Amino acid sequence: MKSHGERSCAGCRHFNGRPLDIEAAMPGLASLSSAFAAVRSDDGICAEHDRYVSASSVCAAYASPA
Amino acid sequence: MAEIAEQSPSRISARRSGWGELFRKEDWWAIWIGLGLVAAAIALFANGSSIKWLAVAPQKWPHLADAAAQLRAHGTQYAALFLLWAVALGLGTAALGIKLSRFLPAFLALYVAAGAIYFLGLWDQAAHYNLEPPLVALGLGLLISNTVGTPRWLEPGLRVEFYIKTGIVLLGAGLPLTLIAWAGPVAIVQAAIVSLVTFGVIYVAAVRLGLDRRLAATLGTGGAVCGVSGAIAIGGAVGAKKEQVSVAISLVVVWAIVMIFVLPLVARSLHLPTGVAGAWIGTSEFADAAGLAAAQTYGGYAGNVPGITGNADAAVSAFTLMKVIGRDVWIGVWAFVLSLIATTRWERTGVHSKTDAGEIWRRFPKFVLGFLIASAVITLVSKGYDYATYKKEVLPGLVAPLQSLRTWAFTFAFLSIGLTTKFREFVSVGARPFYAFTIGVAVNVLLGFVLSTQVFNEFWSRLGQ
Repeated sequence: MKSHGERSCAGCRHFNGRPLDIEAAMPGLASLSSAFAAVRSDDGICAEHDRYVSASSVCAAYASPA
Repeated sequence: MAEIAEQSPSRISARRSGWGELFRKEDWWAIWIGLGLVAAAIALFANGSSIKWLAVAPQKWPHLADAAAQLRAHGTQYAALFLLWAVALGLGTAALGIKLSRFLPAFLALYVAAGAIYFLGLWDQAAHYNLEPPLVALGLGLLISNTVGTPRWLEPGLRVEFYIKTGIVLLGAGLPLTLIAWAGPVAIVQAAIVSLVTFGVIYVAAVRLGLDRRLAATLGTGGAVCGVSGAIAIGGAVGAKKEQVSVAISLVVVWAIVMIFVLPLVARSLHLPTGVAGAWIGTSEFADAAGLAAAQTYGGYAGNVPGITGNADAAVSAFTLMKVIGRDVWIGVWAFVLSLIATTRWERTGVHSKTDAGEIWRRFPKFVLGFLIASAVITLVSKGYDYATYKKEVLPGLVAPLQSLRTWAFTFAFLSIGLTTKFREFVSVGARPFYAFTIGVAVNVLLGFVLSTQVFNEFWSRLGQ
């Protein structure tokens, strides 16, 4: 059984925390800020819930990377 | 942009704490570059030399022939400066995942355009025709991106925040630590009042209009704390819908750009002293890059527009104290508190956030550390000189060249803002988020004005003397 750390959004197939993808998905983000900024921490986009979530979050729909 | 993204190293950004953070966030690269330049300037100065040969900048010119003569005389220096920026910024962007082969041609074009705008700003008739470099850079960029479109090959070079953060670290070298200690507490008090009131107004208005609390909080921090950075920090902390974050970003960017033009215009018509106008802009603008464009524009009026007192740097100094020290540094606290409230009090979303106090440090805008260190180091170096020697040697040999490098970095950023802002790509925000945010903008601007020009007027006026 995986621990919470291993099952967090950071390791989930639905989670995308790649900065350039986040900037492409959110028009205007790179105009006055950046997905490389420290304030973003390691947040990313969850394709399952269509939410912008913290990498340490957890949910029942966790899926291991293919 | 997607084409570039495909070349990034991995699809998933796992939480990698510790030392890796020092090379994969632009805040840290801004520190390395900014402090590296400060260290090089000090080393050269200590050995009887100066970085000023490299930190070349245009001088006032009356006729085009004079500008051309300057370029001919200093062509090698401009080429060397390009190399310096290309290597430093290229290293940083490469570490962030942007290919150097794509960054360099884009940056060359940006450097040439920034140089032309820098030159234009030093035409002796520039003020007469309102050709302030930040506004020209922004206007030109907006015109291109929203008409013919920004060429795709230029996109890898348009890193607004990277340039602005590097410039802010360099800005620290021109601000004595004693000044930060003197003005910092007032900036924090003023910014706290405005931030809390603005957030409250936007949040309550949004909830009353029937909007989701996560959207309300994202809009609120976007308007009250640090613009787009605030919106993405809180959006992630509370687990907002992707579209909600996009709505907040669109509203912040549009209003921030409007304010770049409006705030200096209104302050100019009221002949506000540069320090007071800088404090107002720092209180009422939403993003660092947008606010610095407005503050630098207003600083340019000093000595050029009759009735405006204070020196040019006071506007940028007051802005930075208010925005960076007064507002930006608290984003981690906002994120922690709102994340806690979202997890325990708001409707569940299916995603459970694991909030802890470490959030405050993780989201701390680290470039502020570089700004403070640069200020402390230059203050220490200057301490051994009396005022006359400081004016004669330290200022022209050490501080002024670093200020000139700062102006270059800011110009790269101002040009990039316009070139990356494509209004047609913004999401449709809807009437209710627009009303909620706009009410907050109105309160923010009025309250910031009253605090800067009435309550703390004497204090901010003194900053420019």
